[in-house]
Amino acid sequence: MKKRKIGMIRVPGILLCLLFIMTITGAWAQQRTVTGTVTDDDRQPLPGVTVVVKGTTIGTVTDTDGEFSINVPADAQTLQVSFVGMQAQEIPLAGRTNIAVTLEEETIGIEEVVAIGYGTVRKSDLTGSVSSVSSEEIAAYPTLSAVQALQGRAAGLQISSNNGEPGASQRIRIRGGTSISASSDPIFVVDGFVGGVMPPPEDIQSIEVLKDASATAIYGSRGANGVIMVTTKRGKTGAPRIELNTSYSMQNEINRLDLLNADQFMDYIREARPNIEPAGGNTNWQDEIFRPGNIQNYQLSVSGGSENVNYYVSGTLYDQEGVIVNSAYDRFSVTSNIDITASDRFKIGLNAFAQRSTKDGVRTQEGSGGLTPGVISSTFKFEPDQPIYDANGRFTIGRLHDPIDNPYAIATQLQDEEINDRFQGNAYGEYQIFESLKFRTTFGATTNSGRRGRYSPTTLQEGRNAGGGDARVDGSKSTLFLNENYLTYDRMFQDEHHFTAMAGYSFQSSVSESWGGRSQAFITDAISFWDLGSGATLQAPHSNYVDWRISSYYGRLNYGLQDRFMVTFNARYDGSSNFSANEKWAFFPSGALGWNMGNESFLQDASWLSSWKWRLSYGLTGNQAISPYQTLARFSPVFTVIGGNTVNAARPTTVANENLTWETTAQLNLGADISILNDRIALTLDAYRMVTSDLLFSVQLPQYSGYTSQIRNIGEVENKGFEAMVTSRNFTGDFQWKMDVNFSLNRNSILELPEGNDIRYGSGPGHMVGLGDTQILSEGESVGAFYGWIYDGVYQEGDTFVPGGGFEQEPGGEKFRDINGRNSEGELTGEPDGTINNDDRTIIGNPNPDFIYGWNNDFRWRNFDLNIFFQGSQGNDILSYTLMELNLLAGINNATTDALNRWTPANTDTDVPKAVVGRTRRVSTRWIYDGSYIRLKNLSLGYNLPASVLNNLNLSKLRIYVSAQNIFTITDYPGYDPEVNYNSGGSTNGNRNVGLDYGSYPNAKSYTLGVNIGF
Amino acid sequence: MKNILLKTLIVALVVGFSSCVDLEEKPIGLLAPEALFQTPRDVEVAIFGAYGWIASERLYGRQFVSALMLRSDMVDIGDRGTPAERQQVNDFNMDANNGMVSRFWPYWYQTISSANAAIAGAEGLEASTDVINPLIAEARFIRAFSYYHLIRVFGDVPYIDYFIRDPQSVADISKTPAEQIYQGIIEDFQYAKEWLPDTWPNNIKSRPTKGTAASYLASVYLTRENWPDAYTEAKWVIDNKDRFGYSLEPDYQNLFIALNGDRPEHIFTVDFLGSQNGGGGANDDLMPPMSGIRGADHQGWSVLVPSMQVFNEWNDDDYRKWVSFDDSIAVDGVLAPYTEFDNTQRPHIAKYSRFPGNSSGDGRYSDHNYSAFRYAEILLIAAEAGAEANGVSAEVIGYVNQIRERARNWGGEITSTVPEDITTTPGKDEFVNIVLNDRRLELAFEYKRWYDVKRRRLGQEVFLGPDAREPHPTFDPARDYLFPLPAQELDVNPNLMPQNPGY
Repeated sequence: MKKRKIGMIRVPGILLCLLFIMTITGAWAQQRTVTGTVTDDDRQPLPGVTVVVKGTTIGTVTDTDGEFSINVPADAQTLQVSFVGMQAQEIPLAGRTNIAVTLEEETIGIEEVVAIGYGTVRKSDLTGSVSSVSSEEIAAYPTLSAVQALQGRAAGLQISSNNGEPGASQRIRIRGGTSISASSDPIFVVDGFVGGVMPPPEDIQSIEVLKDASATAIYGSRGANGVIMVTTKRGKTGAPRIELNTSYSMQNEINRLDLLNADQFMDYIREARPNIEPAGGNTNWQDEIFRPGNIQNYQLSVSGGSENVNYYVSGTLYDQEGVIVNSAYDRFSVTSNIDITASDRFKIGLNAFAQRSTKDGVRTQEGSGGLTPGVISSTFKFEPDQPIYDANGRFTIGRLHDPIDNPYAIATQLQDEEINDRFQGNAYGEYQIFESLKFRTTFGATTNSGRRGRYSPTTLQEGRNAGGGDARVDGSKSTLFLNENYLTYDRMFQDEHHFTAMAGYSFQSSVSESWGGRSQAFITDAISFWDLGSGATLQAPHSNYVDWRISSYYGRLNYGLQDRFMVTFNARYDGSSNFSANEKWAFFPSGALGWNMGNESFLQDASWLSSWKWRLSYGLTGNQAISPYQTLARFSPVFTVIGGNTVNAARPTTVANENLTWETTAQLNLGADISILNDRIALTLDAYRMVTSDLLFSVQLPQYSGYTSQIRNIGEVENKGFEAMVTSRNFTGDFQWKMDVNFSLNRNSILELPEGNDIRYGSGPGHMVGLGDTQILSEGESVGAFYGWIYDGVYQEGDTFVPGGGFEQEPGGEKFRDINGRNSEGELTGEPDGTINNDDRTIIGNPNPDFIYGWNNDFRWRNFDLNIFFQGSQGNDILSYTLMELNLLAGINNATTDALNRWTPANTDTDVPKAVVGRTRRVSTRWIYDGSYIRLKNLSLGYNLPASVLNNLNLSKLRIYVSAQNIFTITDYPGYDPEVNYNSGGSTNGNRNVGLDYGSYPNAKSYTLGVNIGF
Repeated sequence: MKNILLKTLIVALVVGFSSCVDLEEKPIGLLAPEALFQTPRDVEVAIFGAYGWIASERLYGRQFVSALMLRSDMVDIGDRGTPAERQQVNDFNMDANNGMVSRFWPYWYQTISSANAAIAGAEGLEASTDVINPLIAEARFIRAFSYYHLIRVFGDVPYIDYFIRDPQSVADISKTPAEQIYQGIIEDFQYAKEWLPDTWPNNIKSRPTKGTAASYLASVYLTRENWPDAYTEAKWVIDNKDRFGYSLEPDYQNLFIALNGDRPEHIFTVDFLGSQNGGGGANDDLMPPMSGIRGADHQGWSVLVPSMQVFNEWNDDDYRKWVSFDDSIAVDGVLAPYTEFDNTQRPHIAKYSRFPGNSSGDGRYSDHNYSAFRYAEILLIAAEAGAEANGVSAEVIGYVNQIRERARNWGGEITSTVPEDITTTPGKDEFVNIVLNDRRLELAFEYKRWYDVKRRRLGQEVFLGPDAREPHPTFDPARDYLFPLPAQELDVNPNLMPQNPGY
């Protein structure tokens, strides 16, 4: 047995020791005294504000009540009051001894500092395309993950939930999908930790979305899909600030479907199958499985700092009960960020994070039905004329088609519990070698331990069929390690040449282990999944080990001239273990130019203009998101039985590819940042074109070769688009109205496919047997285009029926359009040939939106604040397998009330076909719907208690708010929610399966009551 | 001082980490082909991989054998709510995208690929021919077995008899004529007959022996109407039955009890292990629920259900009818006749669902060892081919009578006179018809009938004639004796054109 090296964690002890070194600051006192209070726009006291006597080193900071007291020399004229994120003020003393200061937030943009890879930059110096989302926006309403909160907040960023289930993930795309088969998920960088864990929303200070090559190329082979940089909150110098944020939300499913009741259902079924008898019940299954859900959300944080140590410690608890019975999710976490100034040259710090999450899952979005299908799909399709229990007190099962469990049984009986523990530590040390040169090193490690236990008891078909329950336990453990080392040089020459240079090296490794067992036929259901060995039927256990490593060199050069011209070069040289022996290393350069036209003399007189900057960038980034070991040929084990015993067996499954390498995306970006009317209105515009080549593509092999596919670098995809963000202060003063609008338009198009051939693929649920191809990849079209027949309504008496194998040829049958045929050589002619078959399929829908947008409004009046946030998507198509299953009208399951308008000899003026057994499921325009929507994502009204009341309560802040999420949606989509995904999991499906609807856990609408308290 | 310390640290870090970077992949738990074939046992691993795929949902567990059943006149669709692709195979209106075909086609070729890999592996071993040749023989048997099915279903197909390392090398090949593939099949079976052992330890029948190879040769010759060779091979098996341990099972029912495992009558079996799910469809047998009764306590899905005609015309006094059919079943603990079945009011196939052994509640993941070939068929081949080659004789009549005699054994007691022995000497055509009908009943629902309909061109008689057993006015003899090749294959490699006629 060979010994394996697990991970590469060798954090030098010295760094850890240094973390414990703390210094304590003293205070000093002098003679003459001026006192005062500092508040913000909301009249809330501001602790930690620096107050300095101008021209001296005499200063102090405000306490928790925003109050300060300072001894000033007799000749002092002016106080300087400053605070991070606020406009500094100079206050003439004019003999006063008591002063009230109101600091205003820094106006939009101009001096804002944004995080970029391996550093920060003044927004005015930025040459790349970066969108920022603030902590207020992230924590505007309770969300499990900050990713949810990003929806509609930044131009170029498209977020949609993969499933509405508590704890489910989101699909994130920055400027569209750059790939077809590889993942197009952006990478997350949390406080510099590439691939770090996303902290709870309440602990996040800001999120930057890096979009163009100038911003992302520093992340090289992982930058092509954009970068989401997360900065967590840190302590500010000053007395401890204690904050408690808590909210309670009530939730309901966002919508329901109008389904047939028992009588309507029987009328329909008996039209197709006259000998079926009613079961005698009348159950509204939606009533049985939905319940009011709720979320409790708490965060308690303590932050502050002295001269040498800053700290931020926070604990969160999020506890959700889903809107489907038996579904729940909870998460609690602790975050601790400590920064130590060990000497005037040396800083160290540690971010530590620990989290446990527990999920009680329900089965939804099933890939294949089985006899215990998903709760939602069975709720819609299960026979409404059956009661919950039969005469013997057992759960009813389907009788018209597969004997599936009823939805109530599935929701209440099936057990699926998942627990994940995450720990992350990221330590840094920063040393100022010279005034202009500093060195920073970081060591980060994150581990995740997961356990999932599942049990199907004998009250369900699945458990009964297994001979007495079916139990599984799966465990996993993964470790990610990252070490970064880089030097930064920053110097201004002659007050007009500003040089910044950065260069570094990083190493990252990952190890993932998984294992599990499965066993069936237990003595009692009470055992659940906690004694696999007691099952009478043991299934084969599994275990797996996967690792990868990346080694990288990177650097950046910035030059700025007189705040007018900026030049940036970025480069990264990445080596990855995932790729073929011949192609391990690749180079990703980018360059950008910036021009602050607003600072030019010819615009100095334009008083309406505050600033105007042009940005132009071009560069290469990569996508290495394929699984390890895919370049290697292999045999895979096969379960084989000889003479009643299992034996070792294997078959060839994968052929080698010695030249597999990165996908490379070349991106050109032209942008402008314009600010007018004294920064009242700020506008950011970007236009871009990205071409991704060497697509990592699973090429279909001829199946007679004995292989199914091979991953190769073939093909090109283009994304081009336009983004706009406008921030406008429509009203300032006593009544304030700040408005943010963002707009993103992206056009995705396939430029090149292997051999130029179309590639068709299917995404339907497995139990929709025979559905076949549902989507197509075709040059000149978008990825994920829907593919099928054109539905021309219903055949009428006397129509000429177009012949074709398996197609209906009778009145009331589905009528499809004949659009294509073949000549004698077997080539497609593009002309109708009088028969209907597979050649008559065409592209019938595009799941990519024409544009998406967000519209946020913040109003303030006295102590009240009001937030109205809309978010929407326009022009995207949805293919609904849910409605296909329900409204096939083949006499095997329930239907929506559309079935009431089905064709009968007495009701011929309809496009709903008649009820008939044996109808084939076909993807056609009948199931393609416009998925455009506009949604009131958040409506929130808050009230800040006035300072007079607060003083009596001994509080620094108390805000009470009520809010509502998702309460209002305008859409023509006939499913229950236009924000759906199905079969979008896994890297391969992320771009190819978009806009599909089947059996999703519904999103929720919420009503929230919350309090923010500052002590 | 601090400075020096720090610089040393930096240098140490950068150098230290740079030097431990190794980007070569060293996967754990993956089988690399270059290193796989070191010993004869490794070659066996690849041979076994092929068996694992034959005993999978795509082939003998459901898709392939269901398609063969539905195509025939012996099995119809029961529940018309079942997926359209199955109904279309049954109703002769399938197209080139039929899902059953697109599922079983690749598995046959993956089985062949595994066999070809084993052959390549065996040829690379440094061992004596006594060790290597039997391994090659077993792999060649599997390859021939697979192609024999493929060409009967599809006609001309791509023929690959070597291990493919670069799929690009076969990206634009054409189909090989079935006639030529038959030569390869015959050579493979002949080689297998030469080098395979007479028996395996414990009389395992899921691995082929000399007798198995000879039996398949007899079947191939019969299909090709090479009557003399078919007769010779069948006769050779019969003459050597003791050497191979072949005999008729006294009680017909015993062949269809999963727990009985391999029996002396079996010549080749497909072995499923009860209640085990192998992944990728391996070891997933669904024939019990596919043919079982929907709504019964012993749940089935009523998909593969014979037409009433098949049941009605079968003599009630024939024991085999009651082994082959369930005409009643317990529903809620009470025996219900087929007229009261929930879904499909017809007697259902009992051969698979009645005794599935250790299995799921609906019989899925059964313990059956399915008979791919059994000794009764060899007797019937000898009878048919012998009569065609040399005329009707007491010898060939005797083969049929052996089958009939066993059929009169009702679970150990001879209480019936049906089916009666043939006591006269019929004319050749009449005798051949008798044999074909005996094959139909004796091998009922054992995936043989469609091949008989096809080789004897019985389609018009059984689907279109006035006495059609399973009337299908859509049956087109110019089209329906072959399945369409999967459309996807023709898309990927247009050199496979033309598609089979009519699709």
